[in-house]
Amino acid sequence: MLNLALLKSEIVLGALALGLLAADLLLPEGRKRALYGLALLACGISLFLTGSALLPAPGVFGAGVPLPLPTGGGPAAALGAGVGTLWSVDPFSLFLKMVVLGSTVLALLLTMDDSSIPDSEAGSFSCLLLLSAVGMMLLVSATDLLLIFVSLELVSIASFILVGYERRNPKSNEGSLKYFIFGAFSSAVMAYGISLFYGATGATSLVAAKPQGAMALMGLLFILVGFGFKAAIAPMHFWVPDAYEGAPTPVTAYLSVAPKLAAMGALARLLTALVPAGSMDLTLLLSLLCGLTMTWGNLVALFQRNIKRLLAYSSIAQAGYIMMGIVTGDAMGLQGILIYSFVYVAMNIGAFALAVALAADRSDALDPYDLDSFDGLSSRSLPAALAMTLFLLSLAGIPPLAGFIGKFYLIGSAVGTAHYGLAIVAVLNSVVSVYYYMSVCYRMFFTAPRKGARVPRFGAGIYAAAALALAVTLFFGVFPHRLAVWAQFSAKFLP
Amino acid sequence: MTLAHYIALGAVLFVIGIFGALTRRSVIGILMSIELMFNAANINLAAFNRYLHPEGVAGQAFALFIMTVAAAEVVVGLALVLAIYRNWDKTYMENINLLKG
Repeated sequence: MLNLALLKSEIVLGALALGLLAADLLLPEGRKRALYGLALLACGISLFLTGSALLPAPGVFGAGVPLPLPTGGGPAAALGAGVGTLWSVDPFSLFLKMVVLGSTVLALLLTMDDSSIPDSEAGSFSCLLLLSAVGMMLLVSATDLLLIFVSLELVSIASFILVGYERRNPKSNEGSLKYFIFGAFSSAVMAYGISLFYGATGATSLVAAKPQGAMALMGLLFILVGFGFKAAIAPMHFWVPDAYEGAPTPVTAYLSVAPKLAAMGALARLLTALVPAGSMDLTLLLSLLCGLTMTWGNLVALFQRNIKRLLAYSSIAQAGYIMMGIVTGDAMGLQGILIYSFVYVAMNIGAFALAVALAADRSDALDPYDLDSFDGLSSRSLPAALAMTLFLLSLAGIPPLAGFIGKFYLIGSAVGTAHYGLAIVAVLNSVVSVYYYMSVCYRMFFTAPRKGARVPRFGAGIYAAAALALAVTLFFGVFPHRLAVWAQFSAKFLP
Repeated sequence: MTLAHYIALGAVLFVIGIFGALTRRSVIGILMSIELMFNAANINLAAFNRYLHPEGVAGQAFALFIMTVAAAEVVVGLALVLAIYRNWDKTYMENINLLKG
């Protein structure tokens, strides 16, 4: 059953990404900014193809109608498993693909106005961004260790280059090198784990895999290391702050959402549908890692003085919240993962958009990403200060905003499956996180601006990204019903 | 030669690789250690394929994929080392400490 048509959105995006490189050669110097437009167009086409597979299916806006998952052909032929059992395209993966594409669009919009990426390199930069998006889209569909390994590497290799994109900036070099060494190390551990898993089960396919015995368990643990690295789960998170600080800010915004969510999605498929965590006695280990991730991220974030590092540690904590859905593994937890992924893209990239806008003026010698640059923002640009406040409140999970809805589902699912300890840790962590998010707000509203601070400059791209993110954060916070129904429909696997 | 010999060889290589990756000072040394770890996985895959699951070639095919991907990864790594050498004039990990880790 060679149904490559299932992967049409990935194939189209990959082909267009390579097309961008060709277009880069044809365009004269000075016209290269047009390539960002082409990259956005490519994302739009892919988003349309993905969305048209997911949205017209029955039950999207009428709650309660179960979707008949086809096993091949059938009415909704767009959904199904492809080429043996290498990948399966189901509502869960389609939803996450749309989230990944959405964050790619937002990151491209930020790149258009960020001075760290010169316009002459627009072609290769957006090509790499799109290729890593292709890797993530394959990753969330993968049901075979072969495809998981290859797509994880596609994401990693593209991200290594993106982090080190500012070749002449030593910080970018260093961040990229640390990212690379941790990344290569963990993928080697993962490869070893895959070899053990293969030895124990005789196949690399995870569908209907019945791993048993110590060797399979060890293999699975080594495979988790690879995922843990990509999703920055606590003991494997050491690369995060340095890579995020060194990378060009649009790349930081992108890396803090897309690969994390893709890895979480693949991990959710692995540990809830394919090899349930309970069947290998992994639930306790996962909940410990989850609690550690949240706590560590939040506690260290309290002491950061650089907005990129602060958001880096906060994103580690956010990954911990999302991981709760994997630990519980019930329907509500999966919905929570999807809802939280969706809103997390908006609120986190929104916060980064404001940071990029503030740093656009690099005339003063101070570090443009120091928290000082937020001092007195409300007197310089009240809308920017208000937007940043809303994004930070949403990240902290304050009720009328979208971040609350996701947290509500995740903590609700932890309580519903009797993981009370985890729920308490998550609530306490949310309280801790309010402190450092609010300290940024305090600087914006109640501190005098630092000397020579100017009114932030909003380019068209940053403006569009921030407005889009703000709209999502506000709209789905006030009217969560539609998102909840959509996630309920999408939280289904096709094994 | 039995399966145990190959698995032991793989395990030894893997441990040497981990030890090297954690203790080497030079970036190139770390890269070489990581290659050892990849090769340990390859030996395992080929040996398991030959002795335990001789009905298919999934293990050997996987080993080919790992080799290809590892080569691509090393290309990026060496390019990074080159960029760092141009900016810093050194490639020892303990000297590369601008960011606070």
